[in-house]
Amino acid sequence: MTSVLTRRKFVQLSVASVALFSAGGRAATWFAPSLTYPSIKAGNVAKIEVGKPAYFNYPDNRAQAVLVKLGKPALGGVGKDRDLVAFSASCTHMGCGVQYKGERFVCPCHQSMFDPAKSGQVYQGLASEWLPQIPLRVQPNGDVVATAVEGLIWGRVKNV
Amino acid sequence: MALFERRDHLPLPPKGAKTYNTVCQYCNVGCGYKVYVWPVGEEGGPGKDQNAFGADFTNPQPPLVGLNYTETMHSVVQGRDGREYHVAIVPAQDSPINRGDYSIRGGTNALTTFSPTRGTQDRLRYPLLRLGDQFQAVTWQEALTLMGRVIKGIRDRDGNDDNLTVKCYDHGGSGQGFEDNYGAGKLFFDALSIRHIAIHNRPAYNSEVWGSRERGVHELNYDVSDARLADTVVLWGANPYETATVFYVEHILPNLKGATLGEKKAAFANGEPAEPGYLIVIDPRKTSSLTAAEVYAKDRVLHLAPRLGTDYILANAMARVVWERGYYDPDYLKARTDMTLFEDYKKKSLKLGTPYDAFMDEAETITGVPRAQIEQAAEWMAKPKGGGQKRRTLTIYEKGIIWNMKNYDQVAAVVQLAVLTHNIGRPGTGCGRQGGHQEGYVRPPAPTPGSIFNGGPPVNVDKLLTSGKGKFYWVIATDPYLSTPNSQFFRKRIHERTQKLTEALGRAGEPGTVQAWADKILQVLYEDPDALFMVVQDIYMTDTARDAHLILPAAAWGEANDTSINCNSRLLRLYEKFTDPPGEAKPDWEIFKWVGMRLAELYRADGRREEAAKFEFGKDWKTDEDVFLAGSQEFKDNAVSEADEATLEAENYKGVTYSFLKEVGQQGIRTPVRRDPATGKLVGTLRRYTHRFGSSDGKFKWYGTDDWEGYPPEVDKYLKGEAPERYPFWVTTGRAQTIWQTAYHDRNLPEKTLALPLPYVEVNPEDARRLGLAGGDLVEVYNEEGNGTFMVYVTDAVQPGMLFLVMYHWRGTSNSLTSGYTDPKTTIPWYKGTRAALRKVAGALPSLHQTASTLQQNRFE
Repeated sequence: MTSVLTRRKFVQLSVASVALFSAGGRAATWFAPSLTYPSIKAGNVAKIEVGKPAYFNYPDNRAQAVLVKLGKPALGGVGKDRDLVAFSASCTHMGCGVQYKGERFVCPCHQSMFDPAKSGQVYQGLASEWLPQIPLRVQPNGDVVATAVEGLIWGRVKNV
Repeated sequence: MALFERRDHLPLPPKGAKTYNTVCQYCNVGCGYKVYVWPVGEEGGPGKDQNAFGADFTNPQPPLVGLNYTETMHSVVQGRDGREYHVAIVPAQDSPINRGDYSIRGGTNALTTFSPTRGTQDRLRYPLLRLGDQFQAVTWQEALTLMGRVIKGIRDRDGNDDNLTVKCYDHGGSGQGFEDNYGAGKLFFDALSIRHIAIHNRPAYNSEVWGSRERGVHELNYDVSDARLADTVVLWGANPYETATVFYVEHILPNLKGATLGEKKAAFANGEPAEPGYLIVIDPRKTSSLTAAEVYAKDRVLHLAPRLGTDYILANAMARVVWERGYYDPDYLKARTDMTLFEDYKKKSLKLGTPYDAFMDEAETITGVPRAQIEQAAEWMAKPKGGGQKRRTLTIYEKGIIWNMKNYDQVAAVVQLAVLTHNIGRPGTGCGRQGGHQEGYVRPPAPTPGSIFNGGPPVNVDKLLTSGKGKFYWVIATDPYLSTPNSQFFRKRIHERTQKLTEALGRAGEPGTVQAWADKILQVLYEDPDALFMVVQDIYMTDTARDAHLILPAAAWGEANDTSINCNSRLLRLYEKFTDPPGEAKPDWEIFKWVGMRLAELYRADGRREEAAKFEFGKDWKTDEDVFLAGSQEFKDNAVSEADEATLEAENYKGVTYSFLKEVGQQGIRTPVRRDPATGKLVGTLRRYTHRFGSSDGKFKWYGTDDWEGYPPEVDKYLKGEAPERYPFWVTTGRAQTIWQTAYHDRNLPEKTLALPLPYVEVNPEDARRLGLAGGDLVEVYNEEGNGTFMVYVTDAVQPGMLFLVMYHWRGTSNSLTSGYTDPKTTIPWYKGTRAALRKVAGALPSLHQTASTLQQNRFE
């Protein structure tokens, strides 16, 4: 039997290739950041006080994020003391809003606790994934800008 | 940058993805999970009708009630057809146990699947034979022949099986359910007659709770709903926030918060008072279960911190308070308990011959718990409620009682306190263990029927081996180099003994045929009585396997169908196979079957047909269900009335099939299963011992516990002369939320290894200040048994003068320091008590500080 590439078949094949491509090729391991994130101002270095969390929406207005100045150097920290970090404020366990309580984030629902100085590490509790960290950039005018989310925000299958 | 690869986009299973029901592979709680498998290249859409979850991802899921699908719940596996498949493993929302919730352990189930490109690539794929200092691949055919020839050679020469020693799990969870346990039981107890066998972590083949079973109370007798209905929950040497996490946060904490009041009002008798629950934590540490509860109900939480080893004295003191104040029902005791034996209990445990004040003074002196606290705890447990209604108390105990000094008396004392107060067999009551892992015991009769009072105690196989006895050691799905007590000594001796065989085999060049191998092994084993042949059967290259001669690769959770019950409800469910084992790995039951079949062949070749027939137990086992059904024949006829459930084995599942289990899905069925005589239908048992106890006459069998006799010589040596100055700390040990057992899977996950790169020691802030220690410092903890390097956590979880070591860490196990003491009545070790010294090591390992958090784990406020 000779193989004839009909137009119909060609379209089917193209659709299949697109599906394969959009599923991330080999194994769909979308390592963060794999998406295009907005740059959004989270605060200004002149206004952020040590231990006072500032909540902001990121990467869209349905996701709460939190910026803190720890007063000690942190992994991924920016600013002159490398102590400014930001995270998704949705607990990676079941999505409740985490609260900053001196040195750590605590989830009020099941008491999962995360260390903001260690990339949002779960050091106690039920969450099986670390809190997604938000890489920051400091502008010449002191504005602290959120640039991406490293980790999946709870409740989503795609951050943006 | 993130410390490890994170994801910001996960694929959704398309409609039509293969779906399976399963139960978590880890702890006693047994949370339900759903598994979705689909080819790479396909993807579902975000609309509710576009994906197999049936979940709407066009908007973010709502917190708490939405579907949990996180980064750790997805992985990619390689199919045997050469294609890649997505695997998503998410908590089951229709499970009555977890109701969609999950823990840090089960949340990573998907990451434990085999992949050639992730950490699980370390899985064993084919049999390995030690050739000198190398492990080389061999076929199953050759591995089984070698096993068969060595086993047969030893038993034929000896005329018995006493030189064949085994260390094997004996119940469910972690991929070993009723099927694998039955396979092991048939080979070891029916075909072979193995006497020298020990169970996973411990040195002997025994129950950890003979002190309860020999009273007529199986240790799994309550239901998950009892934790919601109890007026008071007692956690005795149990720390469920860390070790039964979802049970604690979904069922016990809601009771303390008052969220189950409606259920209480519906279940209680008319007019019976119902209020938010009370909690008593009896533990030397301020556990996270205690401090998490204090966030919600500080005035309804009581902490008793007895001195190590003194819990049974405390239980007896609480019982004496109950007696003095009349918090018991004499009619119940007369009707349901053995009043002849009760006299012994009154004399030895309640010590009614000693005046109350003198008795309580003595109890306070021994336990260190103030009398007022003992009395308050007794009130919270048993003081009748308004209207004279009996209080409902659920007592959950675990390793703090079980792995205590004097295991038998500890367990017995706790159960007797519950029965004295009629806190068993009623809604909201019960007295049982929390459990470590899930259960699935079905075997022919074991070599040791019970404690020293019932044909025991069983042989201490660790001591048998370290004293130079035994020639063949088969270690199955357990890693005694980390998990056995006094393990530093054990490791050294097993290494020395296996090395003797290894060296002798290599002396004139390794033999070239399997026959010659077997002959030479047997020759060496009988020339040098200290030489030992070791086989390890596991899913990974364990710490123990490094000294093995032969390694057999086993299938893991999800790679075969299996069945287990959980501990809080005896809920039997089917754990469906959703992926293939790597390489040539096989389920344990199949390995036992094939070892048997090879032995049968060898005996037939010798013309010994009768002996051969014994080893063909598995010849009709084609599927996992064949083994499940064969195992059910070990159980009693279960066509009994509800009142007679106590006469059945706790795990009796006679009549249950895989198709029955598929039909009931996550709802499962609670064992013991009965075939109801009226309807002929299979029914589960919600709660045990409502009508009678599990003894021959149905009456509870009281036991008079021992007096306080001080500490055993293995620990007392640290309390004599100048020893307390050299070894100034009491040491206790336990598990942590993050890692499961020896962390055989967890050590491949960056989320876990970056957080816990080394084992840790908890040090009280006072001691830390005095010794100049800060969180993250490295210390050596040592005593005359062994030593290890630990990372310091400064925390008030431990009292001044006490250390807590996390168990089983792969970079150093706390069991290197534990003593070889076992309870003479049961051969159960005391893992949780010894003494040690601590010194700060010179220098530091800064890379560990950079990633590991040392924030205080029991501080929630």
